[in-house]
Amino acid sequence: MPILMNTGIDIELSFNNALQGLGFSKSFAHMLWLPLPMLVVLTAALIGVLATVWLERKISAAAQQRVGPEYAGALGLLQPMADGLKLLVKEDIIPAKADKVLFTLGPILVVIPVVLSWLIVPFGQNLLISNVGIGIFLWIALSSIQPIGLLMSGYASNNKYSLLGGLRAAAQSISYEIPLALSVLAVVMMSNSLSTIDIVNQQNGAGIFSWNIWRQPIGFIIFWICALAECERLPFDLPEAEEELVAGYQTEYAGMKFALFYLGSYINLVLSALLVSILYLGGWGFPVPVEWIASLFKQSIDQAFIQVITASIGIVMTILKTYLLVFLAILLRWTTPRVRIDQLLDLGWKFLLPISLVNLLFTAALKLSFPIAFGG
Amino acid sequence: MTIASTTQQICFFLLTATIVSGALGVVLLSNIVYSAFLLGGVFMGVAGLYLLLNASFVAAAQILVYVGAVNVLILFAIMLVNKKEDLKPIKGLQYRKILSGIVCIGLFILLVRVDLSTPWSIPGPAAIGEESTIRIGEHLFTDYLLPFELASVLLLMAMIGAIVLARRDTIKAQYSIEKDNQSEIINESKTPVLIDQKSIKN
Amino acid sequence: MVDTLSQMLNFLNKVSEYTREAISAGNYLLQGLSVTFDHMRRRPVTVQYPYEKLIPSERYRGRIHYEFDKCIACEVCVRVCPINLPVVDWVMNKETKKKELRNYSIDFGVCIFCGNCVEYCPTNCLSMTEEYELATFDRHSLNYDNVALGRLPTSVTTDPSVQPLRELAYLPKGAMDPHEINPAEARAGKLTSEIVDWMKNNSNQNSTKNKTKDSDKQGD
Repeated sequence: MPILMNTGIDIELSFNNALQGLGFSKSFAHMLWLPLPMLVVLTAALIGVLATVWLERKISAAAQQRVGPEYAGALGLLQPMADGLKLLVKEDIIPAKADKVLFTLGPILVVIPVVLSWLIVPFGQNLLISNVGIGIFLWIALSSIQPIGLLMSGYASNNKYSLLGGLRAAAQSISYEIPLALSVLAVVMMSNSLSTIDIVNQQNGAGIFSWNIWRQPIGFIIFWICALAECERLPFDLPEAEEELVAGYQTEYAGMKFALFYLGSYINLVLSALLVSILYLGGWGFPVPVEWIASLFKQSIDQAFIQVITASIGIVMTILKTYLLVFLAILLRWTTPRVRIDQLLDLGWKFLLPISLVNLLFTAALKLSFPIAFGG
Repeated sequence: MTIASTTQQICFFLLTATIVSGALGVVLLSNIVYSAFLLGGVFMGVAGLYLLLNASFVAAAQILVYVGAVNVLILFAIMLVNKKEDLKPIKGLQYRKILSGIVCIGLFILLVRVDLSTPWSIPGPAAIGEESTIRIGEHLFTDYLLPFELASVLLLMAMIGAIVLARRDTIKAQYSIEKDNQSEIINESKTPVLIDQKSIKN
Repeated sequence: MVDTLSQMLNFLNKVSEYTREAISAGNYLLQGLSVTFDHMRRRPVTVQYPYEKLIPSERYRGRIHYEFDKCIACEVCVRVCPINLPVVDWVMNKETKKKELRNYSIDFGVCIFCGNCVEYCPTNCLSMTEEYELATFDRHSLNYDNVALGRLPTSVTTDPSVQPLRELAYLPKGAMDPHEINPAEARAGKLTSEIVDWMKNNSNQNSTKNKTKDSDKQGD
């Protein structure tokens, strides 16, 4: 984690200093530090998934005037844990005529890219695993591996529904990747950087008014539609359309392998919501810049306790925005009917692709004519 | 030797082993689906090598283009056609195998010779790392503009060709005006390729 | 020149139409979302089943109750039954020249609860109860004999472990939620007995005859 600016706290530095103070060598302190952020983010992702599963069940229940999970813990909070535990101890079934190696490899290939993409998700100025230069492009590249895992599990199940589901998932994934990448490109063009940190910093000049959603309203909608399609959520859940394909590529899966698919789809949903909030809703930024509030109370931004407050506000804002979007996704799930496969591809290729191209060109024109507002 | 360089070396050997064994598997395995999946593995290994060379943008582009697009399309084609058929035994398969083996070994020896005879400048120029994205963009739009545009024109041609092949109704409309002896060929091309035509005739 | 201009206008028209359609599609989506959102503030309609139960309606057709002592073994129930389901096991006592009933059974695994037997029974020995929890581990245990048929079900309202809830049609006027109503409050509309009274007062010339007998009682 390189120090980019003076604002924000640098936990790595203080951690290393603390260990060196205890008499360890610098390289040893660095080695101890390396796995820590990854573990923290992995735990955060898993807790995020548990929260999302709980929210999904509770909000779905509320939208359908039901009660939802109630008896596992207070308000059914432990229900996702119980689900996970059940899947953990279930028998691991591999169908007799299935291709055993590919059958096992499929769900792994689906989950790993999604988890790896958390590498670039920032929760604050210095709160991310690695500020890699290619930033958001890493996510686009990694998410393109997923269809291979889906095809693999669809093929290896030796089941026509699985194969059709896998093929549909891959077709959907590759056709929505393009408008997704183009709408990301428009944002990147405005911030002159692929790094997620720079993208957020560029949006936090004037609080809520400088967020990208005002400059890229069309891009925001395109990105959100494509993100839903990439996550295979309703209205785009055709790969696992239960009325026609049983459960798509998951049909033959049970136990922990099924749990990996389940986990993958929910991590992907949370990740997509996080990226929408980073790209369009100002990431960790508070609607009113924290610097302004600090100067209002005549406090220096470099004070330790203000930095702690800033960091906590950043994390809370990121999570708040993300879960607002997750809520929207769940609401959409119970509002929209599933589209047909031809409608899906039509929407992707004939509507989103041209519009995102036009959006990109328009952004370029605006950037040239109003370099102040659109990041010259 | 520091920890970093040891890790780098271990990664290098692991990646090389993956690439070589994967590539051999692509060629030698009889199941075409396995070959296609292994091809994806080889592409990812190559991306890993780029990462080791500090070229993260090229690595990501490699994954996006080769794994995410090319390999998925190959898999798509294989799975959509997925027709099990017994191939006829080819005459003199043994001799052919030996012949191609000799050619391959010759090429390999050539490569090894190039490798040994080239004066490699180790440790090469310093990697530009994060800046590479900008450099690549600059090069693509200045000194490599012509190859870049030519490649895009080539892709456009391929795309139009694919559309023309896939949309047979446009061909039919054009040729029906001429009404020459080509109509039979056109009719034949209109029948779906995926259906076994022999079984229809019988 | 004019041709190209009209072509361009045509194109622009198409674009504007396309945009309008896209916007209206988004509008419809927002309307749908608002409907879903509105549902979230409504109270759940769920009945927490083993702890709460709906009170069956007054003419609910549940498991059939049978009184052995009233039965005259006439077999009318068998004849009106769509599938001749009740098994009436009787023998002729030659001395008294009367039917002697030995056994009576109905298989509720087959019964469709149409209520024809109850309707036609001349001695009213058959009646419908409000029992509906007939699940068993073995379908043969659904074949009730006269002892089982003679048992009275536990009423939802008297069971101490169950909170009885009124059905929607039995709620007071304006109430939508059975959880928060006063049990003393009467349901919306007239009760059956009130209707009967009203009919009596209204048409005195007809009141000599029937109509009061079968609709004697009702409860919420």
